[in-house]
Amino acid sequence: MPSRPAGLGWRFGVLAVGAIIALLVALPVFRLVYVVWTEGSASLHEIFGRPGLGEAVVNTVLLAAAVTVVAVPMGTLVALGLRRADVPGRRWWRFALLLPVLVPEFVLGYSWTQAYGRAGFTDTILGLPWPSVLGPWGVWAVLVVNTVPLTYLFAAVGLATRAEPNLERAARASGAGAASVLRDVTLPLLRPSIAAASVLSFVLTLGSFAIPQVMGTPAGFGTVTTRIYRDLSLGSDPLSFVEALALALLLVAIAVVVVLPADLWLGPRLRITRVAHPEGAPIVTSRGGAGRWIAAGLGGYLLLGVVVPLIALLAAAVTPAVGVSPSPSNWTFDNFLLVLTSRNAEALGRSAVLAFAAAALLTLLGGCVSVLERRRAGRAMASLVTLTLVLPGSTLAVALLITYGRWLGSGLALILLAYLAKLWAFAHRPISGALDRLPPGELQAARASGAGALTAARTVALRPLAPALLGAWLICFVTALHEVTMSSLLYGPGSETLAVVVLNSQELGRIGPTAALSILLTLVILVPAVPLWMLIRWLRSPRRVRGGARSRSLAHAH
Amino acid sequence: MPTDATSPYVLELRDLTVDYGGVTAVDHVSLRVPRGEVLALLGPSGSGKSTLLHTVAGFRPPTRGEVWLKGRRVATPERAEPPERRDVAVVFQSYALWPHLSALDTVAYPIRRKGSRRRTAREEALDILDRLRIAHLADRRPAELSGGEQQRVGLARALARQASLYLFDEPTAHLDTHVRGVFLDQLVVRREASGAGGLYATHDAEEALGLADRVALLNAGRLVQLGTPQQVYAEPVDVWAARLTGPASVLEAAVLGAGGGRCAVSIAGKVVTVEGSADTSVRDVVPLLVRPGWAHLGGELRGRLQSVRFRGPHSDHVVETAAGNLLIREPGPPRQVAGADVTWTLSRTWPLERPLKSPDSTAQPPLVQL
Repeated sequence: MPSRPAGLGWRFGVLAVGAIIALLVALPVFRLVYVVWTEGSASLHEIFGRPGLGEAVVNTVLLAAAVTVVAVPMGTLVALGLRRADVPGRRWWRFALLLPVLVPEFVLGYSWTQAYGRAGFTDTILGLPWPSVLGPWGVWAVLVVNTVPLTYLFAAVGLATRAEPNLERAARASGAGAASVLRDVTLPLLRPSIAAASVLSFVLTLGSFAIPQVMGTPAGFGTVTTRIYRDLSLGSDPLSFVEALALALLLVAIAVVVVLPADLWLGPRLRITRVAHPEGAPIVTSRGGAGRWIAAGLGGYLLLGVVVPLIALLAAAVTPAVGVSPSPSNWTFDNFLLVLTSRNAEALGRSAVLAFAAAALLTLLGGCVSVLERRRAGRAMASLVTLTLVLPGSTLAVALLITYGRWLGSGLALILLAYLAKLWAFAHRPISGALDRLPPGELQAARASGAGALTAARTVALRPLAPALLGAWLICFVTALHEVTMSSLLYGPGSETLAVVVLNSQELGRIGPTAALSILLTLVILVPAVPLWMLIRWLRSPRRVRGGARSRSLAHAH
Repeated sequence: MPTDATSPYVLELRDLTVDYGGVTAVDHVSLRVPRGEVLALLGPSGSGKSTLLHTVAGFRPPTRGEVWLKGRRVATPERAEPPERRDVAVVFQSYALWPHLSALDTVAYPIRRKGSRRRTAREEALDILDRLRIAHLADRRPAELSGGEQQRVGLARALARQASLYLFDEPTAHLDTHVRGVFLDQLVVRREASGAGGLYATHDAEEALGLADRVALLNAGRLVQLGTPQQVYAEPVDVWAARLTGPASVLEAAVLGAGGGRCAVSIAGKVVTVEGSADTSVRDVVPLLVRPGWAHLGGELRGRLQSVRFRGPHSDHVVETAAGNLLIREPGPPRQVAGADVTWTLSRTWPLERPLKSPDSTAQPPLVQL
């Protein structure tokens, strides 16, 4: 893009966005450091000597490492496997693999306990319980299932943008077999994507709260995030409060220690401008049975990881009590009727309004940063926003609480601030990526045809950007609706979100109603997601964009 | 797979058909490339050149028909050998250089895959880079190379493969003339040593006619004509082929008789005898191909000068005649201004015996190419 001296409007935009970032993130984090420094320095020694704390820190780091080590190769393998043309139902698998993301993480964790735990689904039907589903192994397994969609996406995008088919064909034509091509060309090309996926997977696991809380806490397996939750919700002594603050700071320190070297190394490598082949074309069409095996493997993985747990959840929701066999004759809707209270309806309303507002504001903020970063002056904004990915939700929530809690109280406003701070990067990434793919010539052509800056953006850029904007909104809406790490720390009387209600219900051990609520929460997202997804698909379909010209040229092409 | 070691052909396609994305991209093509020959595949974009090349390389299986390399059947619809087991080297569209490898390692790659040690492979690679006069770029990665330099590295990698068939997939910017010369020299060495051949896909007629021993014209996946560059230029099978292979004017005139390499045609009531062969039975009005050098200004036929373009070494005159518009290329600067009445002579023609597809195409001004 051509750069000209930043105009007044530009400078104002940078200042405004900078101020929002400062208020949302920087100020609270500095306040956190300050408070820990002044209040805690005397008692830090005492805090870190408290029982179980060192173990929680070790657990957290080991868990993050163990999840990353498994989820990244799995996601990469899946992305590589799905490039083969002979996998039956390729398009369908690409969508199905993202399914775990549509289920709230703590619902997924909870449904695993219902599926594989004692008195669970497999225990009742096959007599095959997996007792350690509660505890570190279960937490690890569900976190892996929850992380694989992300690592798969990174690898798939990396393959599509970096591994141009001709690069691999060139290696084949140079005499390399399929395995050598993978080793010498494909994986080296993917290295930046794999590294980025690893960093993100590590950091997200570090900050994950819901799954360890649902599956680890009952078995006495604690992590830093569950300990912060315990300190703030159950702890009554002032030392617990200071401990929560110190842990919040420690969590971000660990994240920074991991991310900083990775970011320094990756920074210049992550700039992607060209998309070689969005579908990731198959390199050599071979007719082996491998495709069917890949499909079978994916099917087994999704069955065990998502489908069986969700069926178990459904079974738990429609059976009247624990131990009753989930056969059709015993089915009842009592649990659903039980949870349809006005309190829960209010919580659902709050959740919906909150997520809707947060997603709308986030799309706006993400769009602002994406536009601002086109110029040198705004690039720092984008880096800052990306850095917020490193901030674990617990840290952010604690920091916002001690900074704005006394004015805003514990309530919806504070939760909204937390969503904005936490999800800004989520909204920024897709919009920025779509802007990168927009050929600069198109906007310049519009300007040269007599359109002003705004008219050019509206008439030429808005249409190709629409899927990304809607996608960003949808991601933020779903994530905000499912968010429980920060909401569970920030809610007060009368401001519970539905996700918090489900978590609390689960902690009370009410299996049937919890399962019913979980299913409701999972289904709620379908209301905006299905029409939006169809709209995005419709906007993206090439026939709409290029009209008849494409179909006509296709008849001659190839 | 059956083999025939005595085959004189490095490549043989037998009734090859390739479907791709619901379209028949290559449609019943049979052709042979003898040892030591460079065959150009000339066609507009979307004519199936790339798909044909990819099928020969092994990136795509045939739908029907067979591919034979050096007397060995390598691909049938049932069984296709992978590219690494075929004796071919490919120069890719936009070069396809690996961004993470230096020029030296890129060129050493095919040598390494043949089992050479890293040291020997690098020495050999350096030797090839040296022959293409880019040894000083050995340590650079693609991002640090200019377009022309990338092109040479891509060629060097193909040479390093020591293949018996070289495939060129439409090198986007046409080959730099100097690089082309160096490369063809290398290919000649290979041809003499091992009888290597080449298959060069391009949409640029000048390039195809200039470097190939024979040219195959492809239209919508079908082989339209196969011949030497002179043949496809001077004796194209139809109007489409004529326009594809160079600047072409098409006049409508009756052929009255032919024999001994000359024929008599009637243009606007005047009968002229010109160089050119024709089927003597043709007496109707047929489209006649006239290349820019086949007609000259001055003479007995009349016309009006529609436009003149000065092109440096020569000037292009478009003359409106009773039989259609005609492009006449004369050396030097323009001698007349547009709008003037001029006379002209026809010295040579080629009857395009097939009827024209669209009746108005003779009325169009001829396609003038730079």
